[in-house]
Amino acid sequence: MTVLENIKAKAKELLEAKEVEVVIGFAQGTLPGKCTPYFARTTEEVERFVWQDGCNLNLANYLSKFSGKVGIIAKGCDTRSIINLIKENQVNRERIYIIGANCPSMGSCHNCRHPQGVIADFYAEQVQLNNQDDFSDVEAFEELLSEERKNYFYQEMSKCIRCYACRNVCPACYCKECFVEENLPCWLGKTTDLADNIIFHLTRTMHVAGRCIDCGACVRACPMEVNLSLLNRKLLKDIQELFNTEPGLSLEAEPVLNEYKEDDPQPFLIGGEESV
Amino acid sequence: MKNMQKKVVAFLCNWCSYAGADLAGVSRFQYPPHIRIIRIPCSGRVDPLFIFNALKYADGVLVAGCHPGDCHYTSGNLVARRKFALIKSLLDFIGLEEGRVQFDWISAAEGNKFAEVATKVAGEIDNLPQWDGWGERK
Repeated sequence: MTVLENIKAKAKELLEAKEVEVVIGFAQGTLPGKCTPYFARTTEEVERFVWQDGCNLNLANYLSKFSGKVGIIAKGCDTRSIINLIKENQVNRERIYIIGANCPSMGSCHNCRHPQGVIADFYAEQVQLNNQDDFSDVEAFEELLSEERKNYFYQEMSKCIRCYACRNVCPACYCKECFVEENLPCWLGKTTDLADNIIFHLTRTMHVAGRCIDCGACVRACPMEVNLSLLNRKLLKDIQELFNTEPGLSLEAEPVLNEYKEDDPQPFLIGGEESV
Repeated sequence: MKNMQKKVVAFLCNWCSYAGADLAGVSRFQYPPHIRIIRIPCSGRVDPLFIFNALKYADGVLVAGCHPGDCHYTSGNLVARRKFALIKSLLDFIGLEEGRVQFDWISAAEGNKFAEVATKVAGEIDNLPQWDGWGERK
């Protein structure tokens, strides 16, 4: 059986047994090569599922929209987002059934290290893939002169139209009240002035630091093609180097910014690491 | 704009660094007038947004809290420490100068250290190129 047949068979089984009220997956989109999230509630609707290049949206975002038990077809980044959502009490593990499958859009994400599901109740395919992420894109940027980096960053930030698509699509951004919309106090200017854009994006990057799993949803959602993954991936690299951990891989480990060690590195001090 | 006094926003923790600044004052240690102090309950209260927003108006930011192990709330500065490491690295990544945003631990007994740090930070920011306020100041 192919992966898709496995997925469909499991989805039908779950729906027939009334174990779940809906199975979240992908159907063919209206544009060639694009797939759209699809919510199958009957066994007939399951037939519309596809699993192919283009199924790259992060489906974890939809879990909180349902109150009953939900099935979800999850690739690597979906399962890592689900792990984070469970840990942060946004999703109840008992309430979801995870059908794990390898990401069908291989190659679309730079050096994806976890194309297969990290947790699942059922694996639609068993192939284990092991990729290495060398952060070569981040390192190449670090090599540039500081003026070059600043110019590139300012240029990227000036493209932003503040539609907040990056936030809306992000599975780590589930706050009911976001700082960007707060008026009392008004934390952030609402204009598309360069300064407001920069403050928004830097703060957003810090908000998802240690929880962002580099699924790339923000980059794909951005209508202005702002290079958001550069900032997110920089912090992923730092987290790995400074704290030797990677977000969204285990249900037990605390998010990296929620805990501390007595001997955490402090390279930011005025006199350097040893000045205390 | 060019010859105006540079401004440095200093976020000081209530229990250590703010008291350290106070001690610098009562001890009559001199430090430059750049420093504008904002008292915060704990260095753990420093939202990254505070720092990014301060740079819209000021030329530099100093954040200071209790030494690790001395936090009034036991672990506020320890949790903040991880965040500070990321903020510093992110700002460097996008091309900010090394001295623009600085962090240090200053205890309530270190009035002299506060004056030294304030002098050092203000001096470094004076020597940096004119800050553009995130591209808004010409």
